[in-house]
Amino acid sequence: MQAERDISYADVNRDVVRSLVETGSKYYITLAISVSVMLACFFAPWFYQLQYGIGAAGMNHPTVWGTYLASFIFWIGLSHSGTLLSCVLHITNSSWRKAMYRSAEAMTLFSLMVAVTMVMVHLGRPWFIHWAVPYPNQMELWPNFRSPLMFDVMAITTYLTGSTIFIYMGTIPDFAAVRDRTTGWRHHMYVLLSLGWRGTDTEWHRLGWAYTFLAVLIIPLAVSVHSIVSWDFALSIVPALHQTIFAPYFVVGAIYSGTAGIVTVMFVLRKYMNFEHYITKLHFDNLGKLLLVLSLIWTYINVLEIFTGWYSGTSTEYEAIRYKLFGYYAPLYWEMILFCAVAPLLMISKRFRTSFVPMLILSIAINIGMYTERFLIVATSLSRQYLPDAWGIYVPSLVEISIMVGSLAMFVTLFLIFVKIFPSISIYEIKETLPEPEPKTQSESGAPEWQPTL
Amino acid sequence: MSFINDFLASWREYRRPGYYEKFDYAWTMSIDLDRCTGCEACVTACQAENNLPIVGEDEFAKGREMQWIRIERYWEGEYPNVKLGFIPMLCQHCDAAPCETVCPVSATYHNQDGLNAQIYNRCIGTRSCAVYCPYEVRYFNYNNHHWDAPLDEQLNPDVSVREKGVMEKCTFCIQRIRQAKDQAKDDGRRRVRDGEVQPACVQTCPAEALVFGDRNDAESQVSQSMNHPRAYHVLEELNTDPSVVYLKKVGSNAG
Amino acid sequence: MSSIDRRDFLKLVGAGGVGTGAGFMLRESIKHPTQHLIPYVIPPEEFSPGIATWYNTVCSMCSAGCGISVRTREGRAKKIEGNPAHPVSQGRLCVRGQAGLHTLYNPDRLTGPLLRAGEGKPGELIPITWDEGISQLAERLNVLRDDGQGNRICFLSKGVRGHLAELFELFVDQLGSSRLLHYDFAHPQTLYAAIDRLFGETHLPYYDLKNTRFLLSFGADYLGSWISPVHHGLGFGHSRQGRDGIRGRFVQIEPRMSLSGAAADEWIAANPGTEGILALGIGNYIVSQGGYQGSDREEWAASLAAYSVESVATQTGVPAATIARLAETFADTQPSLAIGGGAAGNYSNGVDTLVAVNALNYLVGNLGREGGLVFNPEPVVGRGANASQATYSTMLDLAQDARQGEIEILILNQTNPVFTLPEAAEFREALAEIPLIVSLSSFMDETTSMADLILPSHTYLESWGDDFPEPGVGFSVGAISQPVVSPLYDTRATGDIILGLARELGLTDALPWSDMEEYLQESWQGIYARGSTEAEGFEAFWTDVLKAGVWGETTRRVAPASVNASVIESVGVEAPVFSGSSDNYPFIFHPYLSNTLNDGRDANLPWMQEVPDPLTSVVYGSWVELNPTTASEMGLTEGDVVEVESPHGKVAAPVYVYPAIMPNVIAMPIGQGHDEYGRYANGRGVNPIQILSPQMESETGGLAWASTRVRLTPTGQRIDLVKTGGVSRDLGREIIQTTESDTDGGETASLHSIPITVIPT
Ligand SMILES: Nc1nc2c(c(=O)[nH]1)N[C@H]1C(S)=C(S)[C@@H](COP(=O)(O)OP(=O)(O)OC[C@H]3O[C@@H](n4cnc5c(=O)[nH]c(N)nc54)[C@H](O)[C@@H]3O)O[C@H]1N2
Ligand SMILES: Nc1nc2c(c(=O)[nH]1)N[C@H]1C(S)=C(S)[C@@H](COP(=O)(O)OP(=O)(O)OC[C@H]3O[C@@H](n4cnc5c(=O)[nH]c(N)nc54)[C@H](O)[C@@H]3O)O[C@H]1N2
Ligand code: SF4
Ligand code: SF4
Ligand code: SF4
Ligand code: SF4
Ligand code: SF4
Repeated sequence: MQAERDISYADVNRDVVRSLVETGSKYYITLAISVSVMLACFFAPWFYQLQYGIGAAGMNHPTVWGTYLASFIFWIGLSHSGTLLSCVLHITNSSWRKAMYRSAEAMTLFSLMVAVTMVMVHLGRPWFIHWAVPYPNQMELWPNFRSPLMFDVMAITTYLTGSTIFIYMGTIPDFAAVRDRTTGWRHHMYVLLSLGWRGTDTEWHRLGWAYTFLAVLIIPLAVSVHSIVSWDFALSIVPALHQTIFAPYFVVGAIYSGTAGIVTVMFVLRKYMNFEHYITKLHFDNLGKLLLVLSLIWTYINVLEIFTGWYSGTSTEYEAIRYKLFGYYAPLYWEMILFCAVAPLLMISKRFRTSFVPMLILSIAINIGMYTERFLIVATSLSRQYLPDAWGIYVPSLVEISIMVGSLAMFVTLFLIFVKIFPSISIYEIKETLPEPEPKTQSESGAPEWQPTL
Repeated sequence: MSFINDFLASWREYRRPGYYEKFDYAWTMSIDLDRCTGCEACVTACQAENNLPIVGEDEFAKGREMQWIRIERYWEGEYPNVKLGFIPMLCQHCDAAPCETVCPVSATYHNQDGLNAQIYNRCIGTRSCAVYCPYEVRYFNYNNHHWDAPLDEQLNPDVSVREKGVMEKCTFCIQRIRQAKDQAKDDGRRRVRDGEVQPACVQTCPAEALVFGDRNDAESQVSQSMNHPRAYHVLEELNTDPSVVYLKKVGSNAG
Repeated sequence: MSSIDRRDFLKLVGAGGVGTGAGFMLRESIKHPTQHLIPYVIPPEEFSPGIATWYNTVCSMCSAGCGISVRTREGRAKKIEGNPAHPVSQGRLCVRGQAGLHTLYNPDRLTGPLLRAGEGKPGELIPITWDEGISQLAERLNVLRDDGQGNRICFLSKGVRGHLAELFELFVDQLGSSRLLHYDFAHPQTLYAAIDRLFGETHLPYYDLKNTRFLLSFGADYLGSWISPVHHGLGFGHSRQGRDGIRGRFVQIEPRMSLSGAAADEWIAANPGTEGILALGIGNYIVSQGGYQGSDREEWAASLAAYSVESVATQTGVPAATIARLAETFADTQPSLAIGGGAAGNYSNGVDTLVAVNALNYLVGNLGREGGLVFNPEPVVGRGANASQATYSTMLDLAQDARQGEIEILILNQTNPVFTLPEAAEFREALAEIPLIVSLSSFMDETTSMADLILPSHTYLESWGDDFPEPGVGFSVGAISQPVVSPLYDTRATGDIILGLARELGLTDALPWSDMEEYLQESWQGIYARGSTEAEGFEAFWTDVLKAGVWGETTRRVAPASVNASVIESVGVEAPVFSGSSDNYPFIFHPYLSNTLNDGRDANLPWMQEVPDPLTSVVYGSWVELNPTTASEMGLTEGDVVEVESPHGKVAAPVYVYPAIMPNVIAMPIGQGHDEYGRYANGRGVNPIQILSPQMESETGGLAWASTRVRLTPTGQRIDLVKTGGVSRDLGREIIQTTESDTDGGETASLHSIPITVIPT
């Protein structure tokens, strides 16, 4: 990739380091706002809910799951594109990845963290959440390994661990670069973070090998995580949830909303971190193409879902689909179709894909639609199961809506902290795309084969 | 690798049909829909026996009633040729219970008497079991319930009071089963006699629509019900293998 | 489960009840009540902590008189169950019987005597001692008694039977008053009148549902609210599926499907008030087709001539073919049984209707036989439940007397006429004229709130008493009601209050007993003397009865299987009179007794507020039932609040679209609409009794509570009904499955043979 204007290695160093050390009042104000929103909208109502019980939310019999679980899937979904996309692009040598992958991976990390807190919020007795973790104990009580929720615990823990290592490992050379350009406490922090990176060939070699290895490992992991999340639903026998297509449906949905999330984050970084030169139209164009493909696959699966429901001819499946399309929650369904299936068709046009603001709006719309999708999966299916006399309706409570908003603030807060600690675009990989400042002789051992291809 | 073989062997054993039948008892309830009048006596009897809370009008309106057995009603036809059927719905104590597989902490499990048991203390409140249960008979404690004094004096000391965040449901009045077993043991008997255990709902039913007993005992009244030509399972197609058997209503021609 | 007939019964009595219960053990604890309010640190001898003690006693939640066993632990009542030895309940209980513990442990109970301070009714109620209360009341009573003005004292009780009723009679008589009245909204006085006219019987017969093969019920909600729901439930279950190869058939005739209508094999809506005409049409068919061959056949034929099937079909709206079919089945299926009650007995022509219905039993030979109508023996104690019952017109007279200052003192015992009489009776206003109102109620209620002196009674689970179910079960049954827990509060058993007053008034010659228990022990000597026991000596007999929870005689009365000859020619049912013109008030109003709240007396029990109404699943409120066609014509859907207006008032409640009600009838449950009945009842729903027209049944003077016309006005408001039901249609999911075959003999079902998927080994 070629940056839009001629930039030198020094420019990159300067720009990135500046984004870490020069903190304007705007940043602090934003941080203050997001922290307060997080406290007021997430922690305060959650505290109330812990005192009162899950009854603070709107869930009921038969809709015992609600927005908390929808948010959980949403955040897990959002987490998908980051690391997954980064890995895919890494092993397919897509150079345009380099400017954006770090923040995309951060997105993964933070969405996963928010997702885990959503599980806490969802539980009736979160103070006993450790019981879902297999640890040796005096009572010899183990979790139930047959439970898809148990699979979830495993999968998410693994994915979180993998993603954390992946992003951290990829940042080590940059930590070192920043370490060498900072002073004071920052310097000490980066000394620790860079793990004594010196930039030797052996180090580069090992890093490259490990990085590629992890990238290959994480792809199936990411696919499996969302498949497993889908099994929370699909392994039940609830009409409209008990579907084989759910795993691919969830994976595609996850990548779809994740990619849209990346577009949003790219926009913000570009605009507010002054990365105009690194994040360019090219990125939006490529992401737009990807989004378009994903939206088509997603739409296809939705159509399949309706078709199989209709074709099944059983009262339960048919009713579940009918209710989704025309029942109480129908306006939400059609909103979702508009945002996730119809509006993305605009991206057929290159002009649209390369316009920043329209792409921002669309990416936000897609994620609103995708949130709606998760909500509908829970709400429409649970409220219409096998016994019609037990049907009911569920409306989220204020506490739930507030927590939903608060969780977004939590994500933003985490991200704001991240951008001040992690170089949010990869210094060394950007440099690889620039013309080298002066001809440089190759080291004796010869350039590691993998490196020039990066 | 021998441990894998061991694992597979026990897995197969576990999935073998009739797995539960090797246990001493297989508690079963039969519900004769031709007798049930929908009077709701069973509902209140269960509430009294099992310390079910009064949730209050507001919570009830939100759909958070606590009634381990409920009467569902289904209308057929239009006025004047209209019929109303009642069906008591309670935990079916499925032998292939979907609720049991999903619980991450094994708070709900199958006990050796074939009951779908619920350990309140172990439950972390994921509510997944309620989603997985096709009969919608699992009730969640959305908050801590409270009994206006002295209504609390009525609480049954043999049954615990559940706290917020915990799932609960019909236990087949396990405290009464225990008591009957203890009694049998004290009397030097190996087995509980048919009719000796009567859950609260069965006990009160004025029309004697409910019968409870052990289907491993071929002579028991429920065994007869199981073999009755009118016997069926609700949502049989789901293969949950319930321990509650319904006897079909007899729909006679007019006149 | 065993069901009991009189042959089994003897074996059970004396063999002991379910537990070790014996109320006499509690005698000591009653004397020192407060001791046992504390959890036992050192338990009394008879208790083992952790081990339940069962006491047999009698349910008083309605007038059926079921025998119950109460499970107690550490001195607290935990659970009520039916007493298996009692022939009425046979171990079973209805929903209200289960909720008795919420009466006992109700947080809104009155905890001690209260006196209204200061002059005038709005004065505050202040706590006083029992001695003060009793002596002040005795003083006032004494003044009137001494002046020979005893008749200015009125004693108004809920329906009470057995020795307590006797005690009331003795007491009121000693006061020199003739004003002893029992008042219950739902007392079947028209049935009493009809049975009296038809058979010359002053007591109700026993309807043997258990052994019948075909039941024709005209409006009687025998499974929900009529006379003895638990016993009828047992009978229903047995008749349906308790006999090899025989399945009883049930037909229900009523304008709005009740619980019994839902259970029936066939539900038929006849025009309201024409149930009797329909019965006569059936009678006409039976007689004219030769189904009746008695010697008075000609007389019957003559008096039924006016009720040809065709004309009856026009009047009732029931097709002629249906009438003929019902008549044929009724005559051909032996034994069959016709019963009538509920709304059918409470139109202006109620007695005539019930005479017509019961006459059917005569025509097909159902009298005095198994599965038919069996005459009960004379009551063992007292003059029977109908003897002192006040009708609506008696209550109007009472109100009139009160307004004219002829009532000086009114003593109320657990009855709430301000709630259960229509506004049109102006009873509240009349009460305001009475200088001294004393209430013995255990709860504050609409009537008690007007009292000047409140001497609260124990609940039935804390007091001694006895009960002789009426109608019985074809033979004499009695049971002693014993305290199962020590009294919670500073209250007293009603009998003890009366005896206390008697002592204070110096009436110890007529009422010499120190307390209710002593009185009962003495009175039961008389029952012991009847000789129907194997017990040696009275003490043993008494203990046996307490243990078994029931006493009985198995001799059945041989009664003539005939009707009063004079009735035959007068048989006939006038068209019903409805109050309000059909132009202004297009709908016939059908209030009905709630399965859970009874006539409103159980509205203060949280369990009863929270148990769904069986037919609609609504809880915690009132609703107006409308036929779907009517509703759609008026553009109403569930939750639309409508005003129901009669010529005598209006109430507003949300609509419930009810699939089984006639298009020109609207129904409302009775029970809600309290404003002085404690935290669980107050401010919920409305009381449909309020708007009833003071239309009376022509013969008894009872309130014809099914004879009001109303109109509906949408208010434009909407509220969400609180209910459990989602969509009450099964959408082809075969949740409730049916079969055509009545009996066994088909293929044997083989459940539990569906293989769980096997992983091949
Ligand atoms: N001050 C004082 N100390 C003593 C003694 C004494 O008499 N006085 N006695 C000593 C003796 S002999 C003993 S045995 C020990 C007993 O000491 P502990 O074992 O501590 O006994 P408790 O305090 O009775 O109960 C412990 C907790 O268990 C909870 N609990 C009740 N039921 C259940 C249940 O079903 N499941 C679970 N998970 N928890 C439940 C209770 O609410 C309580 O919080 O104390 C010893 N220490
Ligand atoms: N309600 C309730 N009941 C309980 C329990 C509970 O938690 N709640 N806990 C249960 C448990 S775990 C236990 S261990 C038991 C304990 O029950 P107990 O064994 O009854 O225990 P204590 O009441 O502590 O003491 C018994 C008596 O021993 C006397 N004593 C003290 N020292 C001596 C001595 O040196 N010699 C002699 N001869 N007597 C002595 C004391 O004065 C006392 O009277 O209670 C059980 N019961
Ligand atoms: S108590 Fe018996 S008859 Fe009444 S609703 Fe329950 S099962 Fe049916
Ligand atoms: S009925 Fe529901 S709760 Fe009961 S065992 Fe079956 S699946 Fe579990
Ligand atoms: S709610 Fe409780 S019992 Fe149900 S699945 Fe969750 S932890 Fe298990
Ligand atoms: S068996 Fe026991 S717990 Fe279950 S519904 Fe009946 S009374 Fe309730
Ligand atoms: S019918 Fe019900 S309320 Fe009436 S006495 Fe019997 S159990 Fe009690």
